Amino acid sequence: MTAPTVKLPAPLFAKLSPHPFLLRNLTSTSASDGHGDRPPARRTNGRGTQETRPLLTKPSSLSHAHGSSLVRLGDTTVLCGVRGELLPVERIPQFRPLSRTRDSEGDGEGEEEEGGSVIGRGELRDYDLLVPNIELATGSAPQFLPGVPPTTLAQTLSTRVYSLLHSTGLVRATDLRVWSTAGEGNGKKNKEDVEMGEAEQGEGYREMEEEDRVVAYWVLYIDLLFVSFDGNPFDAAWAAVVAALRDTRLPVARWDPERETVVCSRTERKELNVSGLPVACTAAVFEEKDLSEVGTGVAEGRHWLLLDPDRLEESLCRETITMVVDCSDGETKIKSIEKQGGTTIGRELIRGFAGIAEKRWKEVKDATK
Amino acid sequence: MTDRRRINGPAGATIPPIFDDQESQEPKYSKGRSRAPNASRKMYLKTGVTPSASGSAYLEIETSATPDVSGLKLSCSVHGPRSLPRSAPFSPHIVLSTHVKYAPFATKQRRGYLRDPSERDLSIHLETALRGAIIADRWPKSGVDIIISIIEGDQDREASKLQGDEVWDMMNALSGCITVAAAALADAGIDCVDTIAGGVAALVQDAGDDSTPSIVIDPLPSDHEKVLAACCIAYMPTRDEVTNLWFRGDLPASDMDLYTTLVEKGIQASKNANRVLVNCLSETLE
Repeated sequence: MTAPTVKLPAPLFAKLSPHPFLLRNLTSTSASDGHGDRPPARRTNGRGTQETRPLLTKPSSLSHAHGSSLVRLGDTTVLCGVRGELLPVERIPQFRPLSRTRDSEGDGEGEEEEGGSVIGRGELRDYDLLVPNIELATGSAPQFLPGVPPTTLAQTLSTRVYSLLHSTGLVRATDLRVWSTAGEGNGKKNKEDVEMGEAEQGEGYREMEEEDRVVAYWVLYIDLLFVSFDGNPFDAAWAAVVAALRDTRLPVARWDPERETVVCSRTERKELNVSGLPVACTAAVFEEKDLSEVGTGVAEGRHWLLLDPDRLEESLCRETITMVVDCSDGETKIKSIEKQGGTTIGRELIRGFAGIAEKRWKEVKDATK
Repeated sequence: MTDRRRINGPAGATIPPIFDDQESQEPKYSKGRSRAPNASRKMYLKTGVTPSASGSAYLEIETSATPDVSGLKLSCSVHGPRSLPRSAPFSPHIVLSTHVKYAPFATKQRRGYLRDPSERDLSIHLETALRGAIIADRWPKSGVDIIISIIEGDQDREASKLQGDEVWDMMNALSGCITVAAAALADAGIDCVDTIAGGVAALVQDAGDDSTPSIVIDPLPSDHEKVLAACCIAYMPTRDEVTNLWFRGDLPASDMDLYTTLVEKGIQASKNANRVLVNCLSETLE
């Protein structure tokens, strides 16, 4: 300790040498306190290592979108708008005609549920009915300025949300189908009957043994706009997508034989059946050795798992893990595990992380209700 | 050409919903203006919404009385002043770059991610307006980025009616952009000669054949039968200076008074916005 001590304010120190700054914050508490047991390590932002920022969700914040949400995770703010547009089947290349008799649908409701989810997911993916896009270049952080093509991060995030939307089966294809009834020439008697999905089952049109067919699909454009960016974009974006989809109310659509188009009702709206509440939980691994020293080699020394990392922490960590869990059925279901970079996280850590993710799920659940 | 860096959705083009009552419904439900001709809509302004930026502000203009109509919502972030890249030529002044973008969900029709000409137009107008307010030679060799996202636009007409009206909506958007950018610049601590705010005045004709055109400030196109002319003004009250004037419409060339009155009313609208701006900034100081 012969070097002259220069007092630097914390933000400046964080900017000059971020890695030692965070390291000292995580290690210093044990020495300063005289107590026998070690107090938990603190991060630079004052949180404990396993402490997340509170999640705030506000649905229906936009009026032009069919569903929307505003999610705030600390200083990260995301706005999500879901808008439905119609895709007529004649515009789908390699469309597999889908038809049903009204009878079979009325009777075999349970069967439709079972088999439908598998078939439905195929439709979603094959016809590309979900279109999530993430826009970071709104000046949400100094490194994201507009006027350039989407950054790698924005592209990666969009793709991750896209694949997770498909793999979790959050949206069901049955909600997005627009049916036309056979015998539509009969005129206005059928008008109320022709609706999306299974809404019309149990109506008294059993005597017509003809088949209904799908005439169009709803395409959901899910646009995410980062108003403010302070780390952990995926968790915030995913929470916003889920909240916006739960908020989405598509107009009830029917086939109009006279105009030969699909028309929507202005007053009637139908909500989507969003199954479950998958919650993403991200942590970054902070290693004792500085990244610039380690290079790509194996890191030695201690490491910390930092839950819900902020912008500074993300820039210092090379290894992240994201787990998507859903506990809405009572038991914890792991929907996806993603791990990038580094070699620290092993089998044990992932197992332990499931417990952390479960805790996070409860927090988010409380925040959404 | 498709944008391969984004997720584009299905190959076939999708159509926005067509409503069954589109034809039967009265195309116009304008109930006329509920405010006095000299009253602006209520405004909410807040600074510091984007902590990671040097300065930021959020502006919301009150929803009008008509149901299903949203007000304007703008979010602005300012990055800088910072050094210019090495490749940039020497500049004795601060280099201002403005960027205005509608969010995809901001309007009734979905907007793409690529900027369209109207957004570029807005950016240029905004830059002109702000350049007059910033003391540019305090920061040689540096640049500042002003980015505005229009989260929700003013657009509230039917799609068919929209074509002719978009320009009036753009004026309202521009005046909001100027005000919100001024707040964000102040939040970023960039020296300006004065607080600048935008205001719109318009010559409108109300429903009914016998009505004479009148001048209102902060017009909503949906409130009126027809907008004949409008002007958007960026004005600094303490210096009594106009930095940007955007005039559009048809006015008889003989009637010079009408021009000056319209500009005066625009200044009045800008003063109203300025009061909100100053209040917001002094609240932040406390």
